[in-house]
Amino acid sequence: MNMHTMGKFAFSVAVAAAVLGAAACGGGAKGPSILHVYTWSDYIKPELITRFETENDCKVVIDTFDSNEAMYAKLKAGATGYDVIVPTSYMVSLMKSQDMILPLDHSLLPNLVHVDPDYLAIAIDKKMEYSAPYMLTNTGIAYLKSKVKNFEPTWAMFDRTDLKGRMVMLNDMRETIGGALKYLGYSLNSVNPAELEKAKDVVLGWKKNLAKFENEQYKTGIASGEFLLVHGYSGDILQVQAENDDIAFAMPREGGVISCDDLVIAKSAKEVKLAHAFINFLHIPDVAAQNTDFIQYLCPNKDAYPLMSEKIRGNAGIFLAPEIRAKCEILADLGANNALYVKVWDEIKAGK
Amino acid sequence: MKRSRFPFVVTAVVLVFFYLPILILVIESFNASRFGGAWRGFSFVWYFRLFHEPAIWLAARNTLLIAVSVTFVSLILGTTSALALHRFAKSRLQRFHYTLIYTPLVVPEILMGISLLMAFVAAGIRLGMMTIVLAHVTFCISYVALTVLGRLQDFDFTIVEAARDLGATGWTATRRVLLPMLAPGLAAAGLIAFTLSMDDFVITFFVAGPGAETLPLHVYSMIKHGATPLINALSTLLLALTFTTIFISQRLSKSGAMEGGQ
Repeated sequence: MNMHTMGKFAFSVAVAAAVLGAAACGGGAKGPSILHVYTWSDYIKPELITRFETENDCKVVIDTFDSNEAMYAKLKAGATGYDVIVPTSYMVSLMKSQDMILPLDHSLLPNLVHVDPDYLAIAIDKKMEYSAPYMLTNTGIAYLKSKVKNFEPTWAMFDRTDLKGRMVMLNDMRETIGGALKYLGYSLNSVNPAELEKAKDVVLGWKKNLAKFENEQYKTGIASGEFLLVHGYSGDILQVQAENDDIAFAMPREGGVISCDDLVIAKSAKEVKLAHAFINFLHIPDVAAQNTDFIQYLCPNKDAYPLMSEKIRGNAGIFLAPEIRAKCEILADLGANNALYVKVWDEIKAGK
Repeated sequence: MKRSRFPFVVTAVVLVFFYLPILILVIESFNASRFGGAWRGFSFVWYFRLFHEPAIWLAARNTLLIAVSVTFVSLILGTTSALALHRFAKSRLQRFHYTLIYTPLVVPEILMGISLLMAFVAAGIRLGMMTIVLAHVTFCISYVALTVLGRLQDFDFTIVEAARDLGATGWTATRRVLLPMLAPGLAAAGLIAFTLSMDDFVITFFVAGPGAETLPLHVYSMIKHGATPLINALSTLLLALTFTTIFISQRLSKSGAMEGGQ
């Protein structure tokens, strides 16, 4: 039986070798320091990463997530190793309340002086204590110029019976009820049941004219002309516009939702200094402008605005007029009050 | 008597229902349009773009490395456990072992992902490629063990006994008789482990560490923020790879079954 034990031994050696081999491939952590960034895919211009790596003699490793909630669940369960994370504003509030992120050290972030004060006025973290803004998206209305007569940039467009059955609104309770709240002149973070009740009636009125509530297919729908007017995200619409120049995008004059993805530093970060350097780097006006031109989301960096391409600056869907922007709001995390919206949304979905 | 056409129609409808979406995806991967709305001409543009995305190729490299390690480790562990299960089928311990082997097939993936992540965190293991390999092995062992166990059911152990009678040591008999005869089953099991590891998302998402991004993780995040046609092109390539492996594995098990029947 001696040979038999030899066989077992050979098996275990082989197993150990395979496991160690895999470990060695994953853990080449020697040499220059490594900054781990956890973000959305295709959300930074690749050349800028290379520039940051050369300037700071480091390596940047990017990992991606596909939803704020999944990222949160993973970190909450104890996953570590990420330095800079890019969650949306409402998730920043939650992560801060759960003590998952570090306060920012402003002495390491001189470039934050370039951040647009008009944006900060509506931001959730106005003093940038825990987060610096990275990129903005607007939720507005896209329409086919040749098919929609007498377009007005207002939420009242969804009342137009001549477009009945050819309009779509987002299947997102905060976005859609938010639109109605804005239309009525209320805050879209309202937790006043009376205001929400009025908003419900408005959305129920719009619903009669809508083909459906939908989040993804509206892009192909408007590109192919199936829908004439859709409620959607500026980032999505810009991509569709590249193919169909009959599509225009407008922000309702009553205001709407602006979403911001923020830069935060994880509590468990190993490269805290480098993480600050990275955030500071992204707010160099020239870098911010290049980045915006490339990914087509707006970095709220006032000194970068003049450096951005004409295409971005001339697009009223990205670059909002100051008086409209002042009326826009960021969706805040409502905590327990979220239930109010769920109730209203259920009634809208069930109602006629 | 005329045969009813009903079964044929049902089969055709089911096949169309299964394969039409895949066919559309393959066609769309050659569509020059960024949005699947309208056909804007045949083009390889997305395939060219795909070859200039370093992040995708890095993820592909990680995925393959993981899949190969997982296949190797789970083949060894799964086969040995199948041998034990078969040999001592009556013992209480092995029946318990069988339940353990069976469990990962029925436990929801998300539960497995979170519990593995919590186990790794509690044990202080740094998340990375290593943790993904360990996690994949935990469920691939089950598939390998059950596949090999199936092959062992109609395995003629008298041949191994004959080899021992003729003077072969246990190791020689295993190496020269048992393993060659099991080879088709082992190959099929290995390919199953390989494909499962390649396209696992849920468990991988939780146990992946920084810098250890796999293709499925990358693809999911691309859907949210990136270019859809790249995904179509990538999926088509993956489909080709998966179909080839499945095809080979089926051929192997078929030829194995024929040999067993002789």
